[in-house]
Amino acid sequence: MSLSLDLARLFAERVLPAEEVERLKGLRYADAGHGYDAFGLHPDMVKLGEALLGPIYDKYFRVTSYGCAEAIPVTGPAVIASNHSGALPIDGAMIWLDVLRHTSPPRIARAVADHFVPMLPLIGTFFARGGMVGGSRGNARTLLEAGELLLIFPEGVPGISKAFKDRYRLQDWRVGHVELAIRHGAPVIPVGVVGSEEQMPQIGRIPIQFAGAPFIPVTLPPFPMPVHYHIHYGAPIRTDRDYRPEHADDPAAVREAAARVKAAVQALLDKGVAERPGIFA
Amino acid sequence: MSRGVLVTGADAPIGERFVRALLADPSVGRVLAVGSRPLDEAMPFEDERRLTYLSVNLTRERRVHELLFGPARDLGVEVVVHTAMGGSAAEQGKAVHAMNVSATRDLLALCERHPTIKTFVLRSYAEVYQVQADLPVLIGEDHPLNLSPNAPQYVRDRVEADLHACVRMGLSPLRIVVLRCAEVLAPGTGSQLFDYLESPVCLRPIGYDPMLNVLSAKDVVEAMRMAVHVQEQGVFNVPGFDTLPLSLCIQKWGRLAIPVPGAWMTPLYRWRRQLRGHDFSYGMNRRRFHYSGVLDGRRARTVLGYTPGAPIDWPGLG
Repeated sequence: MSLSLDLARLFAERVLPAEEVERLKGLRYADAGHGYDAFGLHPDMVKLGEALLGPIYDKYFRVTSYGCAEAIPVTGPAVIASNHSGALPIDGAMIWLDVLRHTSPPRIARAVADHFVPMLPLIGTFFARGGMVGGSRGNARTLLEAGELLLIFPEGVPGISKAFKDRYRLQDWRVGHVELAIRHGAPVIPVGVVGSEEQMPQIGRIPIQFAGAPFIPVTLPPFPMPVHYHIHYGAPIRTDRDYRPEHADDPAAVREAAARVKAAVQALLDKGVAERPGIFA
Repeated sequence: MSRGVLVTGADAPIGERFVRALLADPSVGRVLAVGSRPLDEAMPFEDERRLTYLSVNLTRERRVHELLFGPARDLGVEVVVHTAMGGSAAEQGKAVHAMNVSATRDLLALCERHPTIKTFVLRSYAEVYQVQADLPVLIGEDHPLNLSPNAPQYVRDRVEADLHACVRMGLSPLRIVVLRCAEVLAPGTGSQLFDYLESPVCLRPIGYDPMLNVLSAKDVVEAMRMAVHVQEQGVFNVPGFDTLPLSLCIQKWGRLAIPVPGAWMTPLYRWRRQLRGHDFSYGMNRRRFHYSGVLDGRRARTVLGYTPGAPIDWPGLG
């Protein structure tokens, strides 16, 4: 066992409550032989991830979760489709932890990141240890075939870099997530994250590539503000029942399914924004 | 009736082990082992009445013709397993290309018009695949190949030989089987990783710890033995038992891993190569020292019946 894993486990077991450490022993993943899965996930690093993100989730963003346990299937393939915003992918980290905490046995939302993320030193490796995979169709297909839970942001980079005036307005909604879900018989769970869109208002961008990222966002303030996160899970859209796998090759069917998911996410956002007492409250 | 098998590269470590495995397989008939060295300099094979060893220069098409239409026909060889390929990444030039590519092409062409040979098995390499951040981590047989003209000859030759065999599938009367084997972590196999791990201190690019898959000599031999009996042709990935991050690989080999800035890696390993005569080239391995690439062996499991079962005998602790 490597020193870094030993340290990760020791730290996590000191920080996390004993019952949570015990619960995380139920984590299911495809061990490829040395404690890691083929993509680099390791359960001790998942524990470390929870230990590090826990205070941010609980104290800083004071995340409130709505309907996670009901929406996420206990087993089998599924795709979480969420809005994406906030200059930094904190929304992804909060969904990851929210799903980990609210599923029993605990499930890992395998975030499908843009191609440049695995190229980032340290960050790419750390995210991979927690379950992130690069955004290739092959990676997503492999995970769905293995019955895993994917976390996809159909807005992609245009979503996370949207201007403040466009908050809670979904950007160009890609269709790959529903195509995958239909092809592999997986339901799509719409998720609306409220709060993240105001955490780091973007006022501009420097159009130079940095560490693989396509540009450097200019935000005010330059750090995430302690907004109150609300994560709303909608009823699963049964792309596994309403469509047959061959519909994955039907552009009209795929567009229709993607529009259903987009509408569901937008509805969750509208409801979440209307019901919250305030951005920071 | 048991089938005769011709093995090229029988005087190299993997070829020699493969010959022994065939001799232990009662369903195999005569074994014609072909090496580049004379018998007395080749691996010590026991006196085995099913074994014939011949020294043949495979780059000489006339010699190959005489081999196939002489001893191979007389022994009733039905399967040719071609494992002979230059082992060192430092070896370059026309002679190496002749051995790696032209010999494969000539051998295959002659097998196609041979009266007894029915199956041609090419031992290929996972190095033919492209590894990069935007490609899948799990490498299937349809994964993009490394067709870069800037790739080192070691890779280009392997890609060319592999593609030539693939192109002939369906056009040739032979059953052609291409085994794309993960890196065999053993001495004398040309393994870049093995050479890298020879140093007591292994440098790796800071911030990256990609997943690797390595194969034991026992498993690659078993996969080739299964390919001798397979009834289907095609390309098959042959992964190893061990899938692990580079840092753990270094640790389990009993070496000290030191992360250094990626820009330092090329000059440091170039100096090592020049001063100590090592084979490892960081330039050749740069991408897989950054991004994960693990062979997907599902097709080999389903069709060949191959499942990796022999882990690497890790010399280090843990």
